[in-house]
Amino acid sequence: MQNIKVWDPAVRLFHWSLVIAFTANALILDDDSKLHQYVGYVVVGLVAFRVLWGFVGSRYARFNSFPPSVAGATEQLSDMATGRTKIHVGHTPLGALMIYNLLATLAIIGASGYLMTTDMFWGVEWPEEVHELSVAWAEFSVVLHIAAVIFESRRTKVNLPRAMMTGVKTVPDAKGG
Amino acid sequence: MLFSMRTSQSKAAALFGLMIAQIFCAVFFVLDVIADYREAGTEAAYHLHLYVETLATFSLVFAIVFEGKFLLAMLRRQAHLEESLSNARSAVQEIMEDRFGEWGLTPSEQDIATFLIKGFSTSEIADLRGSAEGTIKTHLNSIYRKAGVRNRTEVLSLLLDCIMVTERPAA
Repeated sequence: MQNIKVWDPAVRLFHWSLVIAFTANALILDDDSKLHQYVGYVVVGLVAFRVLWGFVGSRYARFNSFPPSVAGATEQLSDMATGRTKIHVGHTPLGALMIYNLLATLAIIGASGYLMTTDMFWGVEWPEEVHELSVAWAEFSVVLHIAAVIFESRRTKVNLPRAMMTGVKTVPDAKGG
Repeated sequence: MLFSMRTSQSKAAALFGLMIAQIFCAVFFVLDVIADYREAGTEAAYHLHLYVETLATFSLVFAIVFEGKFLLAMLRRQAHLEESLSNARSAVQEIMEDRFGEWGLTPSEQDIATFLIKGFSTSEIADLRGSAEGTIKTHLNSIYRKAGVRNRTEVLSLLLDCIMVTERPAA
């Protein structure tokens, strides 16, 4: 067993703040409330911070450590299909695709939500449509994300949720002993 | 052969992309169907449109599941063919896969059986798959049990037998 420090505090704080803010806005707060808007601004701020951190953050937080890669994704699927376990220290290729998907979707949710509050788009239908559809997609993505984390933790025997709490991934030694 | 490996790689990628697009659509169609049922309320049973819509949505969801299984099978096949350079080998691969299917091997067992036939040792297979040797041994035992043989050599002769019979040209 080997302990590797992968997620810096900023990444973890971002992740769990986003979990709280998204859950609050999607499931708890009244859509028409002022608080819903403020929490929305927080989410947009978090996304903006994460994008910035993707360029200047620590090694595994940077986008260049998890570029969107279709070849990588099919390779990971291939590992799943054959039951092989290749350990990825940072984000896995499929995990990376989910991150880009969530960041983009949240940005769209934030932008369309903001437009709904402006005078110019008052009563215009499409920002609301976009907002609701992208929220539905985000909710589906979150469910898929959680399912994938559980599935991959079991498959690769690396406790991923714990790594996102403590920042440390405990991975089996490279050579399966 | 190398060329066709590459094309099947991009086929897998294309299928994966298509699936993502379909999942995107399916999420919205499912939500739409739910919303329509809510709107129709107790009248739902009289709307032919709703039946068709529901059927279409379910078909899409089933198609995605089917494609997923197909994609995994395709990737599995590709992973096993990785080092094959000739068409003969790919024919042998096909026969092997048929046999694995008959024996009821799991995807992991199929992968291990392929390595076994290619002559890899237990520790090499463990390395290649990133798992412990003990795990591989457990898998090997269940492969032998399912194939109804006692050891590696018997698996090989069983397969060789199939290949020789199958490849004999029809008179």
